[in-house]
Formats: sequence, C-alpha cells, structure tokens
Amino acid sequence: MTLDALVRNPLTWGTLLFAVGIWLLLPRGATRGWWLGLVITLVSLGLFASRMPALGDWASTGTFGFLAAVTVIAAVMTITLKNPVYCAIWFALSLLGTAGLFMLQGSQFLGVATIVVYAGAILVTFLFVLMLANPEGHASYDRLSWEAPLSAITGAFMVGVLTFALVGVFNPPDAFDTKFSTVEIDRTGEILAGEHMAHLGGQLFSRHLVAVELAGTLLLVAMVGCVAIVAEAKSRRGQPASRKRQRPKSASREPQRPELRAGEALR
Amino acid sequence: MATDLPSLMQNVVAPLVKIVLLIGGLMTAAAYFVLLERWMAAWVQDRRGPNRVGIPLTRIKLLGLGQPLADGIKFITKEEYTPAHVDKPIYILAPIVILAAALAIFAVIPFGSVLPPIPGIPGLDKEPIPLLVAPGLDPSLVFVFALSSIAVFPVILGGWASNNKYSFLGGLRSSAQLIAYEIPLGLGILGVALVSGSIRLDKVIVDQAASGVWNAFLQPLGLLVFVVAAFAEAARLPFDLPEAEQELIGGYHTEYAGLKLLLFLVAEFLHMITAAFLIVILFFGGWHLWGLTGFSEESISWAQALLRIAVLSAKVFLVILFFMMVRWSWPRFRFDQLMALAWKVLLPLGLVNLVVVAVMVEYGGTLKSQFGGGVYWIFAISGWLALIAAWVVAALVSPSHDDNTPRRAAQKFDTEAEFYRTF
Repeated sequence: MTLDALVRNPLTWGTLLFAVGIWLLLPRGATRGWWLGLVITLVSLGLFASRMPALGDWASTGTFGFLAAVTVIAAVMTITLKNPVYCAIWFALSLLGTAGLFMLQGSQFLGVATIVVYAGAILVTFLFVLMLANPEGHASYDRLSWEAPLSAITGAFMVGVLTFALVGVFNPPDAFDTKFSTVEIDRTGEILAGEHMAHLGGQLFSRHLVAVELAGTLLLVAMVGCVAIVAEAKSRRGQPASRKRQRPKSASREPQRPELRAGEALR
Repeated sequence: MATDLPSLMQNVVAPLVKIVLLIGGLMTAAAYFVLLERWMAAWVQDRRGPNRVGIPLTRIKLLGLGQPLADGIKFITKEEYTPAHVDKPIYILAPIVILAAALAIFAVIPFGSVLPPIPGIPGLDKEPIPLLVAPGLDPSLVFVFALSSIAVFPVILGGWASNNKYSFLGGLRSSAQLIAYEIPLGLGILGVALVSGSIRLDKVIVDQAASGVWNAFLQPLGLLVFVVAAFAEAARLPFDLPEAEQELIGGYHTEYAGLKLLLFLVAEFLHMITAAFLIVILFFGGWHLWGLTGFSEESISWAQALLRIAVLSAKVFLVILFFMMVRWSWPRFRFDQLMALAWKVLLPLGLVNLVVVAVMVEYGGTLKSQFGGGVYWIFAISGWLALIAAWVVAALVSPSHDDNTPRRAAQKFDTEAEFYRTF
C-alpha cells in the first residue's frame, strides 16, 4: 500500500479523527471541546462505516448497524463519562451489544456467555466495589482520565489497524468498492450445527483441551493465591481473618480486660 | 430474510402471536397469583383474606376475584412520587430493566409442547408449531442464566440510585445473595444437562418424556440443591433479605411508588414463575404425564397438544403453591446463615450430585446393555443413597436447626466506645 493510497483512504482520516475526537471527549478536567469532540468522533465513525461491506438484505444490515452503533457508542460513553457508576452501566450496554453481534453471527453460546460472565459476574463485582469504595464518587483522581492523549492515540491506532486488516481481508486491495466477497466456508457441520452446544463442547474438550486446562489452572492458581494471602493474614493476627483488625496491644491506652479474652463466646 | 408469505408467517407473525399470548398470560397470571398468595396467607394464618371486591358498582362479590383489578387501578392512579435526592436517570431505568429482563427470559421457556400444523395458513401448515418463542436457541439454559444475572443490575442500581441507606443495604445484600446462589443453581442444572446431553429446555423435556423417568427420581439431591437455590434467586421468603420489611423497610424499592413499584413487584412474581417453570421442566418432566400425554413431538393431535399445555400449567401451579406455602412456614435466614448455606452446604451437595450423575452417565451405556430398562433403578437408587448420605453428613457437620447463636463468637464490651475502638 503506497502513501498515496493511504492518504486517499477514508480509513486513515477516520483513525486520525477518532484519536482527536476521543481525546476531546475524555474527561481531562476542563469540559471545553466536548461538543467538538462529539462531532469529530461521529464523523470518524461515519468514515469507518463508509467502508462497511453490504451484508445482503436490508434486515440483516439494519440489525448489524444498530447493534454495532449501540456497542460503539456505549463504549465511547463508558470511557468519557465522569461518574463511575454511569460508566459501568454504559459498559453493560456495550456488552449487550457485543452479545447481540455474536448472536447475529450464529455463535449463540459466545453471545450468551458474554452476558453471563462479563455483565453478570465481573460488572456486578465492579459495581459492588465502586459503590462501597467511594459512594460519593467525588474523588478527582477517579473522575479524570490519566494520560488522555496517549490512550486516545493507542485506542485509535488499534481500531484503525484492525479495520484495515478486516477491510483487507474482505476486499481485494485494488477493488475497495466491490461488494462483500469472501470465500464461503461451509460451517454447517461444525459448531454452527443444530446441536450447537454439543459441538462446541466437543471442540473445546478435544482440539482445545490444553488451552481449557491451562485456563482452568490459571484460575486455580489465582484462587490458591487468595487463600494464601488470607491464611497469612490470619496467622499474623492469630485470629480469624474475617474479623476486623484489632488494635495493637502496645498502643492500647485502656487497661486490659483479663476476664474477657478475645473470641470468648457468650452463649 | 426471505419476504415471501409462508416464511413471513413462520418467522414474524407466529412469534409475535406467541409473544402477545405469553405476555398477556404472564401479566394476568402475575396479578392473580398476588391474589392467590394473599388467600394462601389468610388460610395459613386462619383469617379470611381478600374476599370483597367483585364486579365494580354492583354488590356481586365473586369471592374477591376483582381484587387484582382494583390493585392495578390503585397502583396506576397513585401519585408517581420521585424523591428529590435520587439519581433520576438510574432511578427510572432500574424498574424498566428488571421487568424487561424478567419477561425476556420467557423467550426460551416452553409453555407447552407443539401444536399440530394448522391447514390453510401458509407457512404453518407443514410442520408442528413449537410453543416456544425462540425455538432455535441451543444454549437456552445459559440464556436464562444470562438474563437472571442481568436482573441483578436493577436491584443494585435501584438501591444505589434511591440514595437511601436502607435501599442501598438491600441492593448490596441482593447482589451478594444472587451471585452466591448462582453457583449451586448451576450445579443443579449441570446434573440435568449431563443426563439429557443437551441444555435446550424443550430437549430436556422430550428426553424425560421418552424414557418416562423424570429427573427428580434420578437425582433427588440435584433437585434439592436446585430448589433451594431457585428460592434464593427468586428472593422468596426464607431468602428475602434484600427487602426484609422488618429490618430494611422495603429494601431496594423503599423509595419507589406507583407504577415503578408495580414494575418491581411484577418482576419479582415473574422470577418466581420462572423458577417454577424451570423446576418443572428440568426435574418433573415438563408436559409429560404417564399414560396421558404421549411422548412424540412429530405427530400430535389437538387434544394431546392441549392436554400437554394443561399438564405443564398444572405442575407449574402446584410448584407455585409450594413456593407460597414455604413463605408462611419458614422464618427468614440471617445473613451469615444465608451465606453459610450457599457456600458450605449447597455447593458441596451440588458437587456430590454432579459426581454421582457423572459416574452413572459414564457407565450408563455398559449397564444398559446388561440390565436393559433396569438401569434406571440403579440410577435412582444411587441418587437416593447419595441424597441420604449427603443429608446425614450435612446434618452432622452443620449446627442443628434451632441453634440460633451467631457463628462467630460474640465479644462482650463494657462501653460502646470500647466496641468502636476495635475497628
């Protein structure tokens, strides 16, 4: 790909505008440039969408466009809002859009599992921590974006590279404007068959068995680490770890209570 | 999407009709289940219950069957009061999301078997019509899980947005409880999935109908774990800590009034109905009843189709009656008891059930060649033995039911200041 083609390609400009727009949108302390950032980001998304291959009839194109727009806009909202709870909600919406895109591609289990794992477990834990850690949400360091220019450029670069790669896969380089053309792969006998789950499980536990076992071991290691931390804290204090920290005995100005030892049951 | 008439009928019109029927039926059912619940409460507590409201503007009472209508009108005409201190967007969003998620679950729950082809209607005159809104979704049990995990959000967010300590506590309790009990719930489902070889709800039913042996007989331990976890997921009474009236006023919906409160309450009832459907489908054979309903899904007569719907509804109704009886028979758990039950009792029991079922499924083939149909007796006996053994162990290890002292040893403090200094 020559420099000339790169300059004439709308994707290049889309990527550049995306970086600028996201940088303007990110919470950097000042709110100036928010509207400008919104307009620039929408223009860049339009530039990206102009390269989207047609997907057959209007119904599937419309569904895809709607889900993609929900996913992308919710993702942008996730990183640009200041209130962490709202960020979490927009993140959940983005995940729902992603799940919808998976479903549209026929990978039903992946779509449903995205909701279960990310929206159902991880995000709920996020919310839990957010609400407990800082219910007011007024800490300035939580409401500002760190390294806004760097993160905007990195994100836009990744999006740009991925889009270039995908467009390159789907369209031959010298025929950008031809319709969606790719090699038809017959997947009906594989995981997209009627018994989707059974085939998926079969693939996971035969061809990808090592990866599954490795992932399981990784989680097990993390759990053992948790238990080790708790056990160490327990032995250091000499009492159940779930109990709140007792004040150190040397720092106590009150007289000791010899008749009531800690942990004595009142039954 | 093809736009010719038969596929339009099959792919657009038929699902829309099913959705309309389902939502209408569910909403009416939820309203009348409220009345039923109040009747049950009155019966258990030896009083009369609602028996006055009949046909409006007449003196006809009809046993109080007009009560749901009156309740609905009351909720709709109540002042839609929004407190000034709430976080308004989330406060409004929460009840909408919880009802939407509770209704969307029914997209994959079969409310009958199939209807025979209807001659004369293009698209529906060749194949049997499945009584299921989304018949093509293979991981339908995981879909139920996904939407019930979505239902955690509105509870937490509603409690948070209300900006009220009681609401917030209710939301936090609810999130901890729902996440904890999803694990035993999943273990209960895994046993069924192993036996059926599928996690499609309609296939699970067909499997049980074909063998004539319901999963409840084969894995009673799984049933026990699943039912207890389902009670907790539906936040029914022994597990209704999120909204415990006596401690938290109303929990996460304390600050809600009028229609928004109604959405929360309807969603709670729908969760109970969902749990009842799941219990019946997974463990009690769905629409199957010996000698009455047959087991084929290929050729079916209208009488048989309607009979299957009736059998499924009757079973679901009985399970809901059980839910309502439990509500007035069992006191609420304390929070540490709740967590201990999930992690220390139900989780090991679920694992035991899973191991027993896995062993049986692994050797089922060789046993079947040896014993024929008698293999189900071996399955059932080992399942019941596992239940008895696990029950005895759980009873020996955990404290007896009347031991209400706190698990962690209490500590005596002379003054309040001394207590606070320990933090």
